[in-house]
Amino acid sequence: MPTRWGALPNSGIDKNPTPVDRIIRDPKIVAAVALVMLVLPPIGLTAAWLAFGQPLLDLMKATDPAILQFVFSLIMMGLVLFIVIHLCAALILAERKISAFIQDRQGPNRVGFFGLLQPIADGIKFMLKEDVTPARVDKPIFILAPCIAFVVAMISFPVIPWAGTVELPWGGTLTTQVASLDIGVLYILAINGLGVYGVVLAGWASNNKYAHYGGMRAAAQMLSYEIPIGLGVLVLLLVSSGTLRLEVIQDQQTATGLWNVFLHPIMFLLVLTANYAETNRAPFDLAECEQELIAGFHTEYSSMKFALFFLAEYAHMIIGSAVLVTLFLGGWEPLPGVSLLHGNNTWWAALIKFHIFWGKIIGLIGLYMLVRWTVPRFRFDQLMKLAWKGMIPIAMALVVIEGVLVAVGIKVDPTAGFVGNFGVLAVHLLVNAVLLGFILWQLSRTKAPVTGRQDNLPEIEVVPSRPAGQGGVSHA
Amino acid sequence: MRDEDVIELKAPELTAAERLYLPQIVAGFRTTLRHMFLEKKKRDENMVQYPDAKRQVRIDNYRGVHRLNKDPDGRVACVACFMCSTACPAHCIHIEAGASPWPDREKYPVKFDIDELRCIYCGMCEEACPCDAIELTPHYELVARTRQEMIFDKEKLLHVFEQTKHDKPRKNPAVTDYGLTGNQDKAVARPTSQTKV
Amino acid sequence: MPKIIIDGKEIECRDGIPVLQAALEAGWDVPHYCYHPGLSVVASCRLCLMEQKMPHPQTKEMGWAPKLFPSCQTPVKDGMEVRFHSESVENNQKHVMEYYLLNHPLDCPVCDKAGECSLQDYSEKFGNATSRMVEDKHKNPKKDIGPKTLLYQDRCVLCTRCVRFADEIAGTGELAVVERGSRGEIDVFPGEPLANDLQGNVVDLCPVGCLLDKQFLFRQRVWNLQTVPSVSPADSSGACIWIDANDAGVHRVRPRFNERVNEWWISDEQRHGFEYVNREDRLTRPRIRENGQVRGASWEEIPAHLRAAFAGDGSAFVISPMLSNEEAWLLATFARQVAPNAVLACGHVPVEGQDRSFPKGFTIRAEKAPNRGGVERILAHFGGPQMSFDELCGQAADGTLKAVYVYGGYPAAWITPAQAEQLSRLDCLVVHDLFDGPLTERADLVLPAAPWTEREGSFTNCDGLVQAFERARPPRSGIKAEGQFFQELCGLPGLFRSAKIRTMLGESIADLAETFQPRKEPEHAH
Repeated sequence: MPTRWGALPNSGIDKNPTPVDRIIRDPKIVAAVALVMLVLPPIGLTAAWLAFGQPLLDLMKATDPAILQFVFSLIMMGLVLFIVIHLCAALILAERKISAFIQDRQGPNRVGFFGLLQPIADGIKFMLKEDVTPARVDKPIFILAPCIAFVVAMISFPVIPWAGTVELPWGGTLTTQVASLDIGVLYILAINGLGVYGVVLAGWASNNKYAHYGGMRAAAQMLSYEIPIGLGVLVLLLVSSGTLRLEVIQDQQTATGLWNVFLHPIMFLLVLTANYAETNRAPFDLAECEQELIAGFHTEYSSMKFALFFLAEYAHMIIGSAVLVTLFLGGWEPLPGVSLLHGNNTWWAALIKFHIFWGKIIGLIGLYMLVRWTVPRFRFDQLMKLAWKGMIPIAMALVVIEGVLVAVGIKVDPTAGFVGNFGVLAVHLLVNAVLLGFILWQLSRTKAPVTGRQDNLPEIEVVPSRPAGQGGVSHA
Repeated sequence: MRDEDVIELKAPELTAAERLYLPQIVAGFRTTLRHMFLEKKKRDENMVQYPDAKRQVRIDNYRGVHRLNKDPDGRVACVACFMCSTACPAHCIHIEAGASPWPDREKYPVKFDIDELRCIYCGMCEEACPCDAIELTPHYELVARTRQEMIFDKEKLLHVFEQTKHDKPRKNPAVTDYGLTGNQDKAVARPTSQTKV
Repeated sequence: MPKIIIDGKEIECRDGIPVLQAALEAGWDVPHYCYHPGLSVVASCRLCLMEQKMPHPQTKEMGWAPKLFPSCQTPVKDGMEVRFHSESVENNQKHVMEYYLLNHPLDCPVCDKAGECSLQDYSEKFGNATSRMVEDKHKNPKKDIGPKTLLYQDRCVLCTRCVRFADEIAGTGELAVVERGSRGEIDVFPGEPLANDLQGNVVDLCPVGCLLDKQFLFRQRVWNLQTVPSVSPADSSGACIWIDANDAGVHRVRPRFNERVNEWWISDEQRHGFEYVNREDRLTRPRIRENGQVRGASWEEIPAHLRAAFAGDGSAFVISPMLSNEEAWLLATFARQVAPNAVLACGHVPVEGQDRSFPKGFTIRAEKAPNRGGVERILAHFGGPQMSFDELCGQAADGTLKAVYVYGGYPAAWITPAQAEQLSRLDCLVVHDLFDGPLTERADLVLPAAPWTEREGSFTNCDGLVQAFERARPPRSGIKAEGQFFQELCGLPGLFRSAKIRTMLGESIADLAETFQPRKEPEHAH
């Protein structure tokens, strides 16, 4: 039969856009608004500076440096919170667009020109949706869980050294890090470890099997992948002579231009991978994998409670990237090998540093998204195998290697600059290459597919096919 | 099943680099990035702005909402044989049979409900139907405000036929009565012995 | 025990049976239409033909005879050798099947027999996929041959099982083959519809979809039914039946072979008398009367209520012959627990006319309750004050009795207005029944009962034979099945399993513990 093709009558949903639709979808109007929004703040700021700049400076000069730092920290916190929340919204749009392009789709394109107003629509939708609390859930914990997830994601930001310190022209310094903790790295680890708490509670309180599975999976997964991160931090402690302060670790990298990622590329990959798992993102999103668990731990959540989980996930991505940038990627330094901004503590340098830092974060998040839409999800046993049989032994080996190197005196000299430390770099790269070779050799010893059954299970009994003549139909 | 029909599949052996994941992931990046940036033009060419415009579909075998066909006399073509509900993997077809009010037909569906929400649109019902009474149409936009509205009863399914018969005429009207009845009047005939019982 | 060789395999078989029966019992699937072990042999369908080894007329050498023999008509003889898997036998089956399908209308989609039809099974297994018939098929309209049965003549294979049944088992002979040759058809005589009390069996006997039951017509497809072995409660004979049911209710009752009671047959009242279990107006929740007001009650509050109401003197329990042995025993146990001097009475036993026997011994019993024997046996075991139901009604009227528990469970209205009036003078009247009636209106506590399709247990028939029946459907929503309820009343933990209770019962009444299991029919017989 010949195949007949035909177009069905169009539904014509969008044939009569409202005036609002016309405006927000008109590129010219959108461009004009964007231009105005880009131009207005600098003009406003300049005007404000001209009007209030001098009195403000005088006020600052007159203020006690400690109080000044306190006020500045408050402003910095507000700014970072503002950026994180808005970046989350923007990232959700970016993720949808990127996934659409990767899958040859268009992505959201109905709200505003190019779908740019989609985050606003999403936000309104989240707030207006019915907030369902199912019967027979553990209500206090059910409500508490998203709050915990969100709060925990937000309280890691104070220890990040956003833009180093700023020397004030009249003497004294301001540090852009809100809280310079002695235990900076440990604080991050501890708070990240708490991140799973909200997920497990959500899964448990929902009184839903899928949610429960999701929560349990998340717990097992977090537990496993904290270990490579902890070991990675341990290696960095050895490299940086034992300080836990993030700003010191970062300063040591910018002083020599020798970022930790060059010294320990394998460790960087391990920590990066573990970070994906920590944020519950593909390929490690087993806690919420749709095919098996509907939506995993947040199956029963709707409206703003769900939005909090969503925001927490993206905040986790941002904080994870920020930590990686600080620990491995030289923080706010634009280029490796040279110390362009190191030691430059002017206010304009701080502005540049701040932007570079965020630029690196966004770059890493781009990688997150690319990975999510490229790599298929692991099976749970593979996930565990990867952590316990792959990443943790390698990380342990790297700790031992770095320990031996430090013991024999092969160590970065912060005062020697890039060239002076070239030998150290070469030794580290050599050691990493040897380790990689060893890993490859180990992997090539068995040819069994990674995706196959567990190798120590008994053989499957092959059921013989029915002998001829016993079937229901006789083949006479 | 004969032994020669059995194909044994072996999992492929992987090299060390493949088992390391990383080279494979990079290869995956190449694919995704190619789609993201290089094939943008192709993508835009093939794009259908769905709610505004619709893709051309293959009318003959697109599996959208069901319909119950009518025979040339305008009666429901179904003979209530339950083949579709038996074949249905989602158990979404519910039929109640009864003696037909027409002299040339034994049986007809008193009730014929399809739960369109439960249906997986596999088309097995259409395959199973011995008299081409149930068919899937190319229409796929099904909306309702309640679940109850999405359970299509006989009247609604016949109405779908009225709506779609111009897009997609009934496949083979010649087999309307499927030889169940022939040309002969099948009213309850008196026994040959001329007895009234 | 003669030994015969079928297809090179030696089997032992019963004496005096046809080779076909021996082969079927040994597991062979031999196609056959006209042969039925309960009927005379006519060897007309020619489908069971076999090859047999015989001495050569001249040389006296043993060899396969060139002619095929009907295996249904050949009695087994020690040492005989036959075969069903040979080219000529299989060719015969193929060609006979093609012949049977010449005029068959192939209307399986609307035929109620589809799914359990021998024509379908055999043409798939033994027949040809195609027919060489090019002429128009011979059409033959359906006939209304009786108040309960339809005849679709063009599906008929003229096996004459129905004719022989009407002649031999029912003894009424309403059916006959009229005309001859290709025009032959089954029919009734003028003015004599097929209306005897066993006529439903012709529907089961019919190997094709020719004779169909009007009650089951177009009701369900057979593959959507679940089949459960049961015992008919329609009379006291204890006929074994299959119940075909699904989520939409109970749809059909078919006979189950039982050599001691009903053989292959059941009466029409056993076959068609189940409809009451599907009725919409069945009681489905307990009701309680408090201060003149009737309100719905929960099953949880009822045991305490019963214990309080029946604790004193003057209480009585009416144990209906519709109850199974296990349920009757549990209820009597509870009665003795709560009131050691309680009166136990066997419930009303409906009787219609006289026992009626048919030529080959099938009997329709006058007593229309399945378990009077069992209930009386149990009451005899418990002893104590006992009386008949009529005496009990009288004592209720004169005030000797205070509280009475009446279990009904009958398919139709059963109590006379006078008895209801007498019982309504009680202080406490508990009625456990299927439907609303004169008693439930006056009762202080009404409990919904479950019909036998929703219970499990065993009945003792009029000859003292104990037979177990299984549950075909779960109790209707809101109903607690009797076994479970009585078990909870007695304080026994866990789910009601009739076999468990039967073991406990057997410790005191040994002859009710063993149930009779009929011989299994061969797998490929039909």
